[in-house]
Amino acid sequence: MTVLTGRAGKAGKAGKTAADRRPSARKRLAGERAWAIGFASPYLLHLVALAAWPLLASLWFSMTDYDLVSSPKFIGFDNFVRMFNDGLFWRTLGNTAYFAVLFVPTQTALALGLAIALNQRLRGMALFRAAYFVPVVSSWVVVAYVADAVFNPQTGLANQVLDFFGLPAENWLQDPALVIPTLAAVAVWKGVGYMMVLFLAGLQAIPEERYEAAKIDGASAWNRFRYITLPGISGTTFLVLVLTSIETLQSFEQVFVMTDGGPHGASELTVLHLYRQGFQFFQMGYASAIAWVLFVLVLALTLVQFRLQRRWVHYA
Amino acid sequence: MRVRMLAAAAVAVLTVGGTAACGGSADDSGAVTLKLGFYAAAGDPADTTMRELVKEFTAANPSIKVELEVAPYVKFFERLRTQIAGGQAPQVWLSDGVLVQEFAARGALADLTDRVKTVNADDYSGIELNRDAKGRIYGFPQGAQTPVLFYNKKLFADAKVAEPTADWTYDDLAAAAKKLTTDTNGDGKPDTYGFRAYSPGFTESWWPIIKAFGGDIVTDGNRKVVVDSQQSKAALDWMLGAMGKDGFAPDYATTEGLGKGVVHTLFATGRVAMSYGIYARSLPATTAGVDFGVAPMPKGPAGRGNVAIVNSWVVNKTASAAQADAAWKWITFFSGEGPQRKWAELGEAIPINKKVASTALPADRHAFLDSLDAATDLGVNAVWSEYTEALSKRINEALSGATPVDTALTAGQKDAQEVIDRFYAGQTQ
Repeated sequence: MTVLTGRAGKAGKAGKTAADRRPSARKRLAGERAWAIGFASPYLLHLVALAAWPLLASLWFSMTDYDLVSSPKFIGFDNFVRMFNDGLFWRTLGNTAYFAVLFVPTQTALALGLAIALNQRLRGMALFRAAYFVPVVSSWVVVAYVADAVFNPQTGLANQVLDFFGLPAENWLQDPALVIPTLAAVAVWKGVGYMMVLFLAGLQAIPEERYEAAKIDGASAWNRFRYITLPGISGTTFLVLVLTSIETLQSFEQVFVMTDGGPHGASELTVLHLYRQGFQFFQMGYASAIAWVLFVLVLALTLVQFRLQRRWVHYA
Repeated sequence: MRVRMLAAAAVAVLTVGGTAACGGSADDSGAVTLKLGFYAAAGDPADTTMRELVKEFTAANPSIKVELEVAPYVKFFERLRTQIAGGQAPQVWLSDGVLVQEFAARGALADLTDRVKTVNADDYSGIELNRDAKGRIYGFPQGAQTPVLFYNKKLFADAKVAEPTADWTYDDLAAAAKKLTTDTNGDGKPDTYGFRAYSPGFTESWWPIIKAFGGDIVTDGNRKVVVDSQQSKAALDWMLGAMGKDGFAPDYATTEGLGKGVVHTLFATGRVAMSYGIYARSLPATTAGVDFGVAPMPKGPAGRGNVAIVNSWVVNKTASAAQADAAWKWITFFSGEGPQRKWAELGEAIPINKKVASTALPADRHAFLDSLDAATDLGVNAVWSEYTEALSKRINEALSGATPVDTALTAGQKDAQEVIDRFYAGQTQ
């Protein structure tokens, strides 16, 4: 900076040189910044108008009594106090946690297993991969019909199988003890294809030479999986865990379509509770408070996962 | 220069905004645009009939232009709430009767008390069911629903059981239902049940039964929950017996396992020989070709427990004077004999015009009219959706056998009262 200023001072006395006629570094930088801002402005505008502003508005609403009709009234942290004393909120949070505990590891393990099974160079493999992906692109309404064909207590396939083995029929979605495991099973069936594709990409990025070298050294199939495959896809596994955890905490559509939170609240997840408060019971302030607590929970969980990943994720 | 440009832009924005806001008001020629909302599924005959009636109305009132906003029930009310928040709601809309006070208590509806005084209240059913605790009326009836006892004549004849009469008691109902319950394929499960006791729609299930047994749900202007009583317990025990030891009604899990909305087709498909049903249930039964009759609900220790819901036209509080006048004109038009007769042809609701109702309903359907005359409201208040959901959850726990009846009633009363108290605490209205 001092050098540039010095040169400019000298040039002022001796007349302009060719170098002086070029825009200074500062000006060039300013010009580039203006271009950068210009190019980024549509996205920035989008970010401010459709993400930042609604987020801030929601934060404000969370501290108000807002029924969507009359103006919001500021009530400080009353909504949060109410939430911590709301047995139903805690129950829905418990339901969500139970759903997550069943769903996240099952889907991750199954997706990895399928990816390994389908990571073969055999004829027709693309067809199998596509078949597992079909539920991912199906809507929850369609999936609900399929699930009913399986879990309907009177006509469903699941009870026919139980009957075949001489076991008593179950009320899969009507029994409070079975509803969450059943929902988790359906969610895994619907979502496993997507995570399988992520794992497939991860598996195909592991250099073949590592396996060849291990084989030459006499490593068993299990040891190749344990010491090459698992570390090789640890980055993908981490991504799958983060995505699946966030997805679980935000689950709404499935329970809305399949059980509406029933039987008598046994499958009411937190986002469904939030939806009811906001859009059925005119309590947008309270719903916003729940949304923010949920956001903090998702953030905390993700940060914990990021912290822990240093111990087991290897980016080759 | 920059300041001037900003001012010009602000004026332009305000002008556009102002024009948009005034879009529905009367112009110099006296013409007014009225946004009218109602709920109907796509392709529903009710949608077609409503559009025809709107055409008739605008032909008779050329200075009123009607813009329709139609959506299926859930979508309609979901959108309505956000439309109200954004100042974009229709000026007049058809409200589910149980939601009128919810919108009114939050200041979204115009008070129609004075306008209602201009009509002869004796000519219409259900006006009083819309009156709130302070005597104000925010909705004018559009169509009424009240549960009666539907029975399948063929199943009664096959089982050689005498058809229900107005003198029936709950014991008579149970005795007939047992005889009508049959297991034709011998798998140990009835193929036809005598009666459908449980329904997620409590209007046709535990609500009237509790009242018939002498219990009540809410009192004191619908602000005090009183469901936790021995009478309510007796009612729920009767239902549990019907679904359990007596075995003449499908149990909770079987009914819920049918899927959303399927419970309402149990009668139409012949799975049950008797069922409580509102007037709208006539349509699927008729369409399915069921030869059915209707009778008053049986007498319990405290009467029949008749209840009614009056779906109503409501007017947006933010409507201009001209729009509110036009909205009221529409409401009185729809309540007239011609439109009511046309609407009655759908078989969807009991006409609220008494003259039309007495002639449009066949003589053997007059149990609906008697029930409507005797009915009380469904405990409507500003938090109806929320407190009834809290209560239903607990009562359904009892009806599914997951919780003892006593415990469920105590918890249900507490949960529902908390919801009501939270809203009304410190409120003057």
